[in-house]
Amino acid sequence: MSRTCPSCSTRLLSPTTAHKSRGVLMGLSGKRFKSTNTALHFYQNRQLELYAAKEANRLTLRQLVFFGRSMTEERLVKSANYVRTELPVRIAHRLRDLQALPFIVVTQEGVARVYELYWSAFEKFRSYPHIHNLEENEAFCSFLRNLLEEHAGVIPNLSLGLSLSSPYLPPDQLDSFMRRMLVSRISRRVLAEHHLSLSKGFMASSHSSFGSSSTTDSNTTSHSSHSNPTSNSPGGRASSVMPSESHVGIIDTGLDVLRSVEKCKRLLRGRPFWLEDFREEVPSGSGDRKEKGRRYIEGREWPEVIVDGHLDTRFPYIREHLEYIIFELLKNSMRATGSKHRDEDVLPPIRITIVAGTDQVGIRISDQGGGLTTSYITHPSDLFSFSHIRNAARLEKARLGALRSVSKSARGMKATVDEQVAALRPGEGLASGEEDVESEAGVAPHARIGIGLPMSNIFATYFGGSLELVSLDGWGTDAFVRLPKLGTNHEGIEV
Amino acid sequence: MLATRKERFVVGVVSRRGYHRRAPDPATPEVAQLLTRFAKHPPRPLTLSTLLSFGRPLTPDSVLSSVSYVQNEIPRRLAQRVRSIEALPFIVGTNPFVARVLDAHRKSFLLLSTYPQVKSLGENAEFTSQLESLVETHANDIPTMAKGFQECTRYMSPSQISNFLDGAIHNRIAVRLMAEQHIALSRGLNRPEETANRIGIVDMACSPASMVRMCGSWVSELCEATLGVAPKIIIDGHPDTTFAYIPVHMEYIITEILKNSFRATVEHHYKLYGSSSTRRLPPILVTISPSPRIQGLSHVALRIRDQGGGVSPSNMARIFSYAFTTAAPSDEPDESGGGPYAAQHIGGSAAVGTGGAGEGNLFEEMTGKGLQIGMGTIAGLGYGLPMSRLYAKYFGGSLSLFSLDGWGSDVFLKLRCLDEAGDVEI
Repeated sequence: MSRTCPSCSTRLLSPTTAHKSRGVLMGLSGKRFKSTNTALHFYQNRQLELYAAKEANRLTLRQLVFFGRSMTEERLVKSANYVRTELPVRIAHRLRDLQALPFIVVTQEGVARVYELYWSAFEKFRSYPHIHNLEENEAFCSFLRNLLEEHAGVIPNLSLGLSLSSPYLPPDQLDSFMRRMLVSRISRRVLAEHHLSLSKGFMASSHSSFGSSSTTDSNTTSHSSHSNPTSNSPGGRASSVMPSESHVGIIDTGLDVLRSVEKCKRLLRGRPFWLEDFREEVPSGSGDRKEKGRRYIEGREWPEVIVDGHLDTRFPYIREHLEYIIFELLKNSMRATGSKHRDEDVLPPIRITIVAGTDQVGIRISDQGGGLTTSYITHPSDLFSFSHIRNAARLEKARLGALRSVSKSARGMKATVDEQVAALRPGEGLASGEEDVESEAGVAPHARIGIGLPMSNIFATYFGGSLELVSLDGWGTDAFVRLPKLGTNHEGIEV
Repeated sequence: MLATRKERFVVGVVSRRGYHRRAPDPATPEVAQLLTRFAKHPPRPLTLSTLLSFGRPLTPDSVLSSVSYVQNEIPRRLAQRVRSIEALPFIVGTNPFVARVLDAHRKSFLLLSTYPQVKSLGENAEFTSQLESLVETHANDIPTMAKGFQECTRYMSPSQISNFLDGAIHNRIAVRLMAEQHIALSRGLNRPEETANRIGIVDMACSPASMVRMCGSWVSELCEATLGVAPKIIIDGHPDTTFAYIPVHMEYIITEILKNSFRATVEHHYKLYGSSSTRRLPPILVTISPSPRIQGLSHVALRIRDQGGGVSPSNMARIFSYAFTTAAPSDEPDESGGGPYAAQHIGGSAAVGTGGAGEGNLFEEMTGKGLQIGMGTIAGLGYGLPMSRLYAKYFGGSLSLFSLDGWGSDVFLKLRCLDEAGDVEI
């Protein structure tokens, strides 16, 4: 079945042909994208500059909590308009940042895609009308959800594009650019998801439709699968409930660190044990299964995780952020331990220490995985780099291939633990008919796309915390995560 | 205008008896001339392979080459040191502790720069014993200067003090290395049975685990004597590791780190559970790991992990600074102060002796007799961490501290194997 271009009525040869007509680029799915290569684009930049000239409002966690505690219709609408006006400012800053990069970088696959996406989002926000009531807020929430979904592919796209751009950008510039992009992205998602969560909570309690709002809607992110948003009763006061469930929007005001640690531990230890093994043959008689560079060893378990310290530590934070970091680090520790002790059946344990300090929560993850120093890495902080000049591991073919496929997949990557876990379960989360390199009939191995550590670093530093990796070469690695406890630090975005 | 008779009387007495301030003496003309001469020829770069070469093999000739090297190089470096102290602000130079150090250096310089050329083993024996007593005299230089600088914080900024001390200590390590190496080689020639595995002061098979045990038992005694109780040390990792290093450097560093950890552990424990608690102290965990060879270099790494309460984020920036002390010069532990890692003011000469054994010196530094000097206090002047780091970095190693505020600290010590350090300038 052939199609015609709605704009110029030219016949298109196949349903998926991209076609450019009169400055309007038809995307692969028929959606219109403004052409970003034309003079039109250049002269229309004024609008963007107006927004980019404004300063972003950097919030603190406390402000987010405080605002969400006593929700009324008026406040909710206010929140909606805040999101509506704040996000385009932040996107505008990112667009200007992108525009300042070398031409050859932005025309690179991946980066170009992101640029177009951002433009589209900017335009949509800019032209979105003022929100006056709950009904309009509902529509706005749908709009937000769709946008979040559309942008799910940004991280792998950007990461791929920048990896390929490494020759054209000095590592420092590349890293700081990528950092600004990712921090801003997190900040926009925090604002958007917080508002969505507040709306949902308010609507749920005002309609008295109580009960588990565990949604399987893949358009909202994982956190709303916690049970009842209890803090938004119609009366406007935060109800005093079990401390473990006192959410305000996406913030858990009594986040139980041990529980998050146990969850990550359970998920990771629940996987079948494998070692990286790129040899062709399986050692005979071992009964091991081999799949795509992994050797699954029957009867061997992932290392035990022993937790000590202040086990009852709780503090207000965004659970997804904390869990992503712990999950990543623990995953790396387990893999390294397995690899270092590949000839042993019982692996040395990983020790996690949780500490509540005066104004920080500290988490130390200590493994015996042999440490970090290899010929690639001169300093552990190189692992946080997106540049392959600093972190040569990033350009490994397997990694690039994985990045390409994740960036193409409709799922994209939102960087949440549940997403990572979904990747572990067979067949889940794949769009039908899609060719996904790392999907398998059996257990889908989670491909190493190499952004786990840089992302963890960004999550950790977002509200002013830190992540440090220290290597005891030959023995193991210690990871120190520090997160601010008081919620008084501003978001680490650029204004 | 002096009004009363009394005032005029007082002034009269004062001026007659000469009780007015005098500037300290400059160097004697002889010394001044020598200094100028030696300062004209800056010292040649010192490499470890040079030092080791005099001991491989160890023969009478090699010992004589060694003494000739020492006689040329040490005075040059001493001249540098005298010059750098003389370059300090005048008011700092008038401080009695600083003045004492300057004076000692001038004397040593004079002695060595005018010493006749050693040409035989007999003469060398005489020279070496002179060298030994010189080393002894200078044993407490750093604590003495430390005391002086403590009193001069009004006149020099922390970074100025830091820069000066870094340079001074670096120079000092070089001089002592040369001196002690020569002394050890001379001794070794006469007692070959003691030199298995050693080239002068370098032990080719240094065992970090034994070192930790030895320092640990010493610090443990000190801790029990001062604080009443001491934690245990558990060693894991690869305790059988041995490598080439200078034992006395390692001993110093490990002792300092253990002192900090022990003290922190006990004080934190008391704070949590009271001083009469019978609850067991959390042990200090030392992990030893030889690192794989990267780019031809190998290290041995140690991690010393304690549960001493950690260092608060606000103090982290200061723990490696020489000027880090608690504010109140009283015996009360300052609540908001630096905690276990900060220094405390110690009064007067109790802090620094004249180097004799058994005086209870605070800072039994890098002398062979260091361990036998009697019980000092476990709270030093706060120089332990920055000095240890300097020693660690001296041959290309490192020392870093990571803290979990509210729980404890991890100190990572990385030391480079000296049998390959070769042409690194030290």
